[in-house]
Formats: sequence, structure tokens, C-alpha cells
Amino acid sequence: MVEHGDVRVVHRGGSKINFREPVISNDSSFLLCASGDCVKVFSTATEECVHDLRGHSGLVTGVRLRPSNHLQVYSCSLDGTVRLWDFTDGILIKTYVIGYPIYSIYTSANHEGVIFIVTAKSDQGSELFQLVAVQLRQCAEQVVEAREFSAVLPDVTSKPAAIDFGRGGEYIASVKAQQLEVFFFKKQKSYRFFLREDNKKGGKNTFTCVVCHPKDDCIATGHEDGKIRLWRNFNQKKEYTYSTMHWHHGAVGSLCFTPEGTNLLSGGVESVLVQWRYNQESEKDFLPRLGAAITHIVVSPDGALFCTSHSDNKITIIQSCVKVSAVIQGLVNGDGVRTDLMVDPHSKAMVLNGKPGHLQFYSLQRDKLLYNLDIVQQEYIHEEGLQQFEVVKAAFTSSGDWLATVEERQQKAADLELNLKLWAFDEQTQSFVLNTTISAPHEARITAMCFCHAAGSQTTMLVSTSKDGHFKAWQLAEAAHTQDEGSSSSWSCDFVGSYHGLVPESCCFSADGSLLAVSFQEVVTVWSPSSWELLTTLSQPPGAIRHLCFGRLSCSKYLLGATDNSLLCCWNLLTCSLEWSTAMATSLLLVDPLSENIAAFCYQAGSTDLFVFKPNEPRPLFSQKAVCSGKVNRAVFAPREEMLESCEESSQWLNRSQLYFLTPYMDLMTFSTKAEEDKLMASSKQLVIDDSIAMTPFSLLLGKHRQQQENQDPLSVLSAERSPLPQGSAAIKELLQTPAHVLPSTSFLCSLFVQSLLISVTDSREEDKHVEEEMESDKENSDEEMESGTSRPEGGSVVDQYVHAADRPLTKAQIREVRRVKKLDQGWMSNILDT
Amino acid sequence: MAADAGMSPLQLPCAFSPKSQQYLALCAQDGRLRIWSTDSKTLHQEYVPSAHLSATCTCIAWGPCRTAKEGPTRKKRKSEAVQVEQKADLLAMGTAAGTVLIYSATKGALHCTLDGGHSGGVNCVHWHPEDSLLYSGSDDSNIIEWDLQTGKMRSKWKADRAAVTSLCVSHDGKLLLSAGQTIKMWDLDTKELYRTFTGHSTAVTTLRFATTRPPDSNGLYFLSGAAHDRLLSVWQVREDGKDKNSVVSFTMTDEPQHIDLVASNSKEEAVRLAVVCKDGQLHLFEHFLNGPCKKPLSPLCSVQMSDTKDSPVPIPLLAAALGADSRSVLLAYGNHLQPVMERAEINTSERHVCLTRDVQTTLALSMETIVSKVKTPIVNAKSKVLVPGLPGHQAPVKGTTQGSEKRKKISDTKEMSIAERLGEIDLSTVSSEKGAPKGTASLLTDNFAVLLVQGLESNDANILNKVFQTRKDMVIKKTVARLPLPAVLPLVEEITKRLQGHPFMAALMVRWLKAVIMHHTSYLASLPDLVTQLGVLYHMIESRVKMFHKLTKLHGKLYLVMTQVATNDSSKTVTDVDRTAKLVYEEESSDEDEASGDEGLPDEDSDNWEEEEEEAKEEKMEEDKEEQAADEEDENPDSRTESKANGEEDMENESEEE
Repeated sequence: MVEHGDVRVVHRGGSKINFREPVISNDSSFLLCASGDCVKVFSTATEECVHDLRGHSGLVTGVRLRPSNHLQVYSCSLDGTVRLWDFTDGILIKTYVIGYPIYSIYTSANHEGVIFIVTAKSDQGSELFQLVAVQLRQCAEQVVEAREFSAVLPDVTSKPAAIDFGRGGEYIASVKAQQLEVFFFKKQKSYRFFLREDNKKGGKNTFTCVVCHPKDDCIATGHEDGKIRLWRNFNQKKEYTYSTMHWHHGAVGSLCFTPEGTNLLSGGVESVLVQWRYNQESEKDFLPRLGAAITHIVVSPDGALFCTSHSDNKITIIQSCVKVSAVIQGLVNGDGVRTDLMVDPHSKAMVLNGKPGHLQFYSLQRDKLLYNLDIVQQEYIHEEGLQQFEVVKAAFTSSGDWLATVEERQQKAADLELNLKLWAFDEQTQSFVLNTTISAPHEARITAMCFCHAAGSQTTMLVSTSKDGHFKAWQLAEAAHTQDEGSSSSWSCDFVGSYHGLVPESCCFSADGSLLAVSFQEVVTVWSPSSWELLTTLSQPPGAIRHLCFGRLSCSKYLLGATDNSLLCCWNLLTCSLEWSTAMATSLLLVDPLSENIAAFCYQAGSTDLFVFKPNEPRPLFSQKAVCSGKVNRAVFAPREEMLESCEESSQWLNRSQLYFLTPYMDLMTFSTKAEEDKLMASSKQLVIDDSIAMTPFSLLLGKHRQQQENQDPLSVLSAERSPLPQGSAAIKELLQTPAHVLPSTSFLCSLFVQSLLISVTDSREEDKHVEEEMESDKENSDEEMESGTSRPEGGSVVDQYVHAADRPLTKAQIREVRRVKKLDQGWMSNILDT
Repeated sequence: MAADAGMSPLQLPCAFSPKSQQYLALCAQDGRLRIWSTDSKTLHQEYVPSAHLSATCTCIAWGPCRTAKEGPTRKKRKSEAVQVEQKADLLAMGTAAGTVLIYSATKGALHCTLDGGHSGGVNCVHWHPEDSLLYSGSDDSNIIEWDLQTGKMRSKWKADRAAVTSLCVSHDGKLLLSAGQTIKMWDLDTKELYRTFTGHSTAVTTLRFATTRPPDSNGLYFLSGAAHDRLLSVWQVREDGKDKNSVVSFTMTDEPQHIDLVASNSKEEAVRLAVVCKDGQLHLFEHFLNGPCKKPLSPLCSVQMSDTKDSPVPIPLLAAALGADSRSVLLAYGNHLQPVMERAEINTSERHVCLTRDVQTTLALSMETIVSKVKTPIVNAKSKVLVPGLPGHQAPVKGTTQGSEKRKKISDTKEMSIAERLGEIDLSTVSSEKGAPKGTASLLTDNFAVLLVQGLESNDANILNKVFQTRKDMVIKKTVARLPLPAVLPLVEEITKRLQGHPFMAALMVRWLKAVIMHHTSYLASLPDLVTQLGVLYHMIESRVKMFHKLTKLHGKLYLVMTQVATNDSSKTVTDVDRTAKLVYEEESSDEDEASGDEGLPDEDSDNWEEEEEEAKEEKMEEDKEEQAADEEDENPDSRTESKANGEEDMENESEEE
């Protein structure tokens, strides 16, 4: 096995941002949402990710603002920890170790120092969940073991929308199946209310979400049949009431009260945000066409911003319920990836199917969705269980001038509807233009599609294979016979091939376009596209061939095939014989377009291994076990913009292109080399700019005060400004920037602080190197000097002095002094850290 | 690379963000700062400075890429994120009022304002490549060094007698170039004058270091451009100080407006330069800088843009940035208020390149994308639709002469099969009608045959339409029979073409086709390239026949529905009278008490009740329909089904009636 110390798998984005409900900061400028293993902080104004809060080692399952400090946020994760962050600066403040996987987290302003978490009941498997209150101890350490649990509700669901705190945190409401449970903290008593399971169609009355009115004793619940019930008078068993509101035709996805409780927001699969007036339920406002089913609704604390999460991994920010002001869109992951991953040669973006009926273009460099390309161009109907057109296959030519897409719709009873569309990239409008639509290109589902990648050939050819037992070659032909001169050229079928009625599974063109390989079950047929002659057949039974690819460059005489009974075969096309074969459960075979390397993802024992090899070499170039858990079905080689120069053997395969793959959880991963990281680290020299210098009335006042001081003693500025204290010393800066509550007591710090001040003052004179001073220059131009000299007579002399001082090298004694000061500074800081 | 310094105040400032050129910052005529995303080609942000009318923005410069603040040193886990490419964040804007604004593109807000330094307007701003320092040059002939950590002025010095129009900091951050009346080079550590260069007669608008080498190896070059000057001069900073004249000059068509430069790191590496001139052209240069070169250098390649109208109008280029590889250039063109960005591959082997672009359509398409993030590709009438049956949907059937043995066989048998099939279909009718009186061949049919031949020869749609309108089988048959043999194939082709058209037309054409095949099979069979001739026809018939089964099914279903609707309508008029009960007897209702103990709420009950009722009604309706369908042929279906349905559904009613 090859040593692979310097190549590692890294996360490149693409995780869900709609997994849990987002949080809006108190000033409405930031939006926080759980995304994979980290919490992302977005700016609500620009849609940009300001920073990631990294530290969790498991999926983050909840984010909540800390009620006592609105600049801090709690996050919980399946790794069994709750972490407290300062989200404006992205600093981890504290880690509370709980020890069990946490599924959601709740906080309440009335419960100081307590958080509520949902964990699995440890004794009865993972199906039952309980709500637990955790007392958070105040202490100085970074990592705190939290062990003071008290169970609140014994039987809840793990869905975060199913629990909410009532007015002022007096009670907590939880829903599960057909049961609403309200627990009063004061009385330590809970009331349960049941709804009858609807007798016609089971489970229509099931609760989906619950939310409590912030100012009133009222609980709103959403149901599967689209009804919203408002419960009142629930602090007793008998005389409770509820009223019903019904607008949604599908299940209510999320509910939210505005901060003052004047409005109730609801959303569901219809992708319409409904705003109900509280107490005037007949009046409602709608914000339709939000694009996809609403999964979460959040309102900013000042009520100005609404924020909806959608099922297509999107967060919409809505201003005052009328205008969509920003859309934060992650990698769209609907029902899974149907198309292959591709790289668009024009925009260098990764392309895969996105929203229903769209192809999405995703920037790999910036982890950002560029746009969705509307392929189907039909209105999407937001309804559960409706079959609509989906883009299932797509292919680019190597130049990016042609895009082929296949869309299909399969309804249960009816026949398959298929469309093959060919799009030309139009330089003039910088957009794709539909050239040919072929309806029903095949009678059954298309299994594979590929363009001929030959660089020099005049004809462009597309081959599609289908379950109907045929493969078809489509060719761009000049439309000579049509009279209208406007139509230039369109695609038409050139050849229909089949082999003994077997179903073709995959197809592949050789690098020069002179050969086409189509696999029919366990037989590979090799055709000549110019004459459509069947040249030869290759087979290695048993096992149907799933993936086929030709070698490139120096290995172009090899054809590789992966069978479903875990065999990887390599045929030599010159001798038409098997060159080698090896047992390998290949789930994906991928060829690098820029080199002769081939990557094989092998699924074994619950995780995927990666092998990178050249077909003509017996040894793999690179191999890594357990790249990720689960099966990797989609991957792509993306060409690098700049070639990497890495000499180490194990990472050379990454020089020309980068390998990206999608995990089953839709995380986009890639491989990075040490050299690359070093380069990045080197280039990312930090530019720290104090944010606090934004103009505020207070800072203006302070500035004026300081200026006055400066004016009073212009000479003392010289030494005071650049002396290492107070802002010059890194240690003191550290002290001032660290949150106050994690520092030891002031009395403890004071003596150390004073001590450090005393020492450094003595040699502050030598320390000053730079002066904030107007400096005279241009010594040759005597007249200029005269000019300035008259204006500021003392200026010249000061500068002369200064320049002199700076030129003079420091004496040894002074250098020693400086060192001592530095040491001292760090020393007292480390003293603090030790205690 | 693309961290562009400010432009001269005459031009509108625009700058691509450094490194990956993710954004284009542009200060348009209206004083607003707009940041465009070059990936999605949409407006990313818009910022209106509070004094955008009085203190217009004169120059902009992107700061070096900023990374998020790292926490305390942590051990890297296996699958931790790489440092995703740094984002360009800070943007410095110099204004005519003498202030410098720092804008954060990530937050979309003003970061801070640097003021109190200049008494005249700021002409240029330039970032220090490493430290958080910013240099600004102003009309008041001063250069100020700003410390951005504190937001204060660090030093200020008088640089020239006239206004400072341009600035540039070297790549190692040690030297600063400034241009006023003369070009001066400063040592940034000491703020002392290092060199002076004279040569430009007009205000210098552009300064740029062309190499990254240190000055003491004779390898440091820089570049300058001035207003109303069609030359860019390159200066060498020599050790011996004998560098009074420029060493190289580049010629262009107009004064430079926007410059991007890839500096060379070694002698072996050429300097690449992209200059957008005031006349809207882009010139690309590539030159190895090693000593003086007497002749002015002309561009390696000039790029112009024009629109797609019949009389092409040039589209002005606004800015250009060089990509990582030598051919790709990021272009911005069109209007300052709404530029179009494009990453283009320029073929530098040609001296002049003209790109035609349709700016209107591009803009129209990209405007939609901003909020919805959905881009709609163009679908116009030009696109072709291939449905099964049209030529091109199936592979053309090749003739027997070429192709392999195998396919010949297949196609042969196929071809025979239609002829046979069609023959078989028609055989009976043919034989029965063949004996039709021949003598009655009237003038009309003869006329038709002549007309048809004429129409086919002249390809006159009018005549052909007239002929093909005929529905009479006899006439068709006779016309075809009298057709001369050479006209048969054109007729078949014409028929094929018309068959692909409207289905109504196709129905007429089938008769003609039938007649042709009946009469001329022997002739057609004798043709050598029969297979290719009739291939299209064959495929069409094949695909239409395939759909026939489904269509019949659909037809049947529709027929059923229609008849039901019709009968339903008629039944309603009759039964309206019957339905009313003569007498209604109500029992003491023993309501089904389905409500479980704790749910006894009136509104909920009624709610459910209603639904049930509705469902019951629906069920009844369905039953009605089914029965009606079953008894369709009955003489008097209405009364019977009605009574039956009533009886089943509602016992009480029935008993009352009885």
C-alpha cells in the first residue's frame, strides 16, 4: 500500500442548511444555522457566510440564542456536547459535555443557567426520547462536565418543532402523535389532551408542530391534515377549548408567532407563507411562490425579518412579510442526485440536478450555488405525491458548447414520459439555447448517455442507452432540406443498435472518439462510430457490467469495466484480450480527463475505499481506506485552474485535477494535499482590522477627547503612541479581547497587570519606532522644504531627530531589554492561564 | 494580480477583486457603489455612500483577501474543512471630499471612514500587500499612510508640488511609487525618496510594478500610463541610478482606462498585460522584460466587441482581468450601470479578435436570476422538436448496397413487411373495385392526373392542395393509375411530407398512399434504393401505429365519460321531481357518540360530521354514475337507477315512499 500521509479527505461544503430552524441575532444582522458539523453564520444583508463555528465532531442538531446574553449562542450535537459560542467573532467560549447524543435544545429566559435538551432514553433503545433540564455550572474552565440532569417530560419526539416554551417560560408544551402535553413548572404538573385519530384515514389529526403565544396563554398546534388549532384554557383538565383554522391542504410544516403575538405565521408544502391575525383568524395574508415546501419559520426578535427554511436547502429572508430580500441557497438536495456530477467547462461550476426540473450550477471554489438552470420549463405544482418532470441525466461536451438533458416523468399507472433536450451554448447571449427536443427518444428509461469527446472531429455525437434494449446515436446534422433558412442545424438519430435484445447498461467513447463501447449485461460491445460496425465483443462472465471507461493518453488502449459481482476487468483493445482483473466491489469508476489516472470507489463493509491507479501499472498510485461511511455513487474530477507542483508520489495524481465526491448524506468532500494547504496557509496572511472603529457618537466623543490630549502635549505623543502599552502589548490585547467571564477575578489580575506596566515604562523610549507624525520629505527640493518649513517650523527638526533615532542601530543592552519585556509580557499572561 | 489601484478622476472607477476575481466593484455615474458577482453575473450588493452626490467616489481598491479569525490552535481532524478560498472583503474608496471609506463586502456595510487627513480630493488609494496599511494620494499633494488596525493616520508627507494622481506599492511592500509632476519612488521604511523618474507630460494615471524582483538586481521594472497618452512606458530601476528614460513602451489605440497585469517572478517569465482603452478596445501584451527595447511594442492581440445588429455597433469594454492560464480573460463590458461579465477564451494567435455579443438578451436573462437564482435558458421557435415518426427520430434506413450483411437482412425484411402489410390490407378492396368501369374515366380524373403531375413538377402548393383535397376513393384511384411512372416517387415524397403535418391532412393522404401502393408496387419494388426512399414513411407509420392502441383506449375512456355526462344531465331534469320526499319522518336521533371522553367539543364534532356527510354524498354520486353507465342502453334508465340508488342509500326514504 502506498503511503498517503499528506493527502487527506476534507469537507468542502454542500451540507444541509435547512436541517434545523435557523436563529436570527437580536440586531437582525446575522443568521445562524446548523450545517453538518458546524454552525454557519450568515449576514442577512449580503447572504454571505461570515464565518463557520467549528468544533463539534458530530451532526449539529440545534442552535439557540443564550437568553441572558444575546451575543452568545448554544449549539448541541449528536457528539453529546453543548457548546457556547460568541458568534460575532466566531469564538468557542465553553463546552459542556453531556455524554449522550442530543437531538434538540431549548432555552428559556426564565430559567437562568438551565438548558433543556432532548436525549434518547438510554435504557430503551433509541426510539423513545425524553426532555431533560441540565443545570450549567458557572466555572472558569473551557470544558465543563454537566451532570446535573432532571427529567422534565418523559415521552417526547426528537423533532425540535414539537416542543415550545409558553408565556414567560411558565409552562412547556409538547406534542407527540395525537397527544398534547402541557407541563407547568410552578405546579410541577402536566396536563394531557388527546385528539381522536381520524377514523376515515388514519393519523390525519396527528400533531406536526406546536408553538406558544409569547404574551397570552394560547398554544397553536399544526396538524397533518393542514388544520391549525388554537388551544386556550389548558391549565385544567376539563374546560379547555380550542378553535380550528384551516387553510393548508397539506400538513402544516411550521408555525411561528411574531414577537408581540399579533400574528401567527404558518407554512407547509404549498410553499406559501400564511400570516394569520391573532384573534381575527378570518383575516390572513399570503406570500406565495416561495419555491419549495416550508420546513421552518423564524421571526427576528424585532419582528422585522421573517426567515423561512425550505426543503430544497434554502433559507429565504423576507422583509416585513412582503418582499423576499435575500436567499441563502445551499447545494440543493431534493430526493437525491439523479444525474452524474459534471463540471461545466464554461463556468467551471459543478453541475447536477437541483430543484425539480432544474440543473444546478454550484461553484466549487466558493461553496455557493450560482444558479439553477430551468430545463423542464413547466410550473412546479406544490403538492404531495404528485409525479412531475425531473432531470435525470445530463451531459456536457468537453468544450461545453453542447448540453444534453433527459427529463422523465413516471406516473404510477401511465407510461413513462421521456424528453431528450439538446442545448447549444450561445456565445452572443451567454446562455444555453434549446436546439432540439426529442420526445420519447426511447421506449424505456435511459440508462446512460455520453458525448463523443474527440477534440478534432467535426461531428458531435451523443449516444444514449436505454432499458428498451437499444442504444441510439444522435448526430448534429445540417438541415439542408428544410426551406426556411433560419434553422441552422439540428440533431437527429444516426444509428440504432442492439445486441441480442439485451439491455445496455453503460456506454463510453474512447478518448479520440474512434471507438464506442456499450455494455450489454455481461458483454461489452465495441463499435466504430464512423461505420457503425460491431468490431468486437468482450466479456468476462458472470456479472453484468455496471461501469465502463476507456483509458486516456498513454493508456488509451485499455478498456475498464466494473461488474456487479465485484470484479474490475481491464481489456487490452489491441489484442482484444483481458489484461488483468481483480476482485473489487466497485461502486463508481471515474476517469480523470486530464491524465491517465482512474479512480475507483469501492464499497466494502459499510464504508467506501478509494483506489487511484493507472491501467498499465500494477501498483495503485494512491489508496485510502474508509474515505467515508456509506456508498459513494457520485464523484467528479474537476480540473484545477493552476497546476499544482507536488513532487510526492502519493499526491501527484491531484496535480492536474481535484477529485470531489458526494457522501450519502450529501456532503461534498474532496482530497487536499499538504502542499496545497501550506500554500493556502501562506497566502492567507491575516488582515485584522479592528471592527470597533466604526463611527459612533461615542467614538467621536472619545476621539475628540484624545485629540485634545494630543494637542496639549505634542511631544509626549511621540513616546506614548508607540509604546508597547496599553494597546501595543499583545498580551494585554488578549486580555482585553477575551470575554470577561472566562477570566479570573480582577483583584487577582490587578497586581500582575500593574507589575507589567511598571517594567515596560522604563524602556519605552527605546521602543518607539514609528511615529504618527507628518513627515517631511523631498530633501532635494529646497524650495519645498522652505515652504513647509515656514508652515511648521518645529516639524523639520522633530523629523530629523526621529529619522536619526530610527537609523541608529539598537545597542546590545537595549535589545536585551526588549527581549526581557517580551518575556515578561508573556510570562504574566501564562501565569493567568496556569491558575 | 488584479488588486487594481484607483483610476484617474476622469474615469469611473472599477476594480476586480483580487485572487479569483469573484467580484467587480464599480462606481457608476450615479455615485453608488455596485458590486457584481462574476460567477453568477448578477448584482451582488449596492451601497449608497451617505454623501454620494457631493463627495463622489474617485477611486476604489480591493484590500488583500481576509480570512476569518482563527481560534486557538487546534488539532486538525481528519475531515475538517480546508481553508476555503479567501473571500475578498474590504474595499477602500477615495472620495472627492478627501475622505477614504472602507466598505466590507461580506457584511454589506461601511466598515469605517478615514477622514481628517486630506484637504483635497483623494485621487488614488492603494493597499499594502501584507500589513493592514493603506496609502492614499490626494489633490493636496500629500500621501497618507493609514493604519487600519486603529483607523488612524500613521504618517503623512508631501510628495510633490502638484496633486498626487497615482500610487503603487511594490509586491514586497517595501517601495512606493507616486506620480505627480514626476514619478517618485519612496522607501516605505524610512519614507525617504529613493528615485525620481521624469518623462510624462500629462498627469500619470496608472502606475504598476511589473516584476516582483528586488531593486538591487536591476530586475525591477514598473509601468506607467498617462492621460491623453497612447503609450504605456516601462521603467527599469537600475542599481547605478542611470534610469532616466523609459526602457520599453507599449502602444495602444487610445489612452488606457483599466489595466491588469500579471507580474513576472523571474527572467524567464513574461509580463502579461491587459489594457482596456478609452475607445473600448482591449489590448493584450506579453513581453519578457530584460533591458531596453527601442521600438514601441504593439499588442499581441486586440479585442473588440460588437453587437449582433445588421450594422454592428461596438460595445465598450470596461475592464479586463487576466486569468490563471494565458488565454482566459475576464471581461466586463456594456454599460457602467449594468455591466456584463464574461470569462472568455481569447485566441491570442490572431492579431485582432472581434466578439459579437447580444447584451440586451444577456441582461434580460441575468436580471431574473438575482432573487430567484433561477436562470432560464432561451427557448425560441428555432428549436426543433422531434416526435416519434418524424425523420431523424429513428435512424435513417440505409440502402442495401452499403452497410454490413447483417443490417441488410434486417432492413430488407422490414421493408418487405410494410409493402406486404399494406398490400394485404388493401388486397380485398382492390380486387373488388378493380373491375370498376373504366370507360367512365371522365375528363375530371384525367385533369387531376395532369394537374398532379404539373403540381409535383412545379412544386406548386396551390395545385397540390387542390388535388389532395379530394376524398373520393374512385377519383384518387384513377388519378394514381394514370400517373406516369416518373411522377410516382415525387408523389410518394410529397405524401410523406404531408403525412407529417396536421392529422387532418394525414387522414386524406392515407387514401392517396394506399392508392399509390396498390397500383405501383411493382414499380416501387424495382427501385434499387427503395429502402432509403421509403424509410421515413415506414418509421412514421410504425410509430403512429404504436400510438394507435393507446389512442383507442383514450378514445374509449373519453367516450364513456362524455356519454355519462350527457346522461347525467338528462337524468337530472327528470328526477328532480322524484327526489323530494312526500313525507319525512324523523326518529329521535341516537347520535353516534364517537367522541371519546375528553373530547366533546361542538365545533370539532360538527366539523367531522360534515366531512362524513360529504363523503357519503360523494359515494352515492359515484354509485349513481356506475349504475347509469351500466344501464346505458336501457330504454328508461333514469327512473330505474334513481329508485335503486335511493333505495340503497336511504332506507327511511324508501319506507316513506312506500
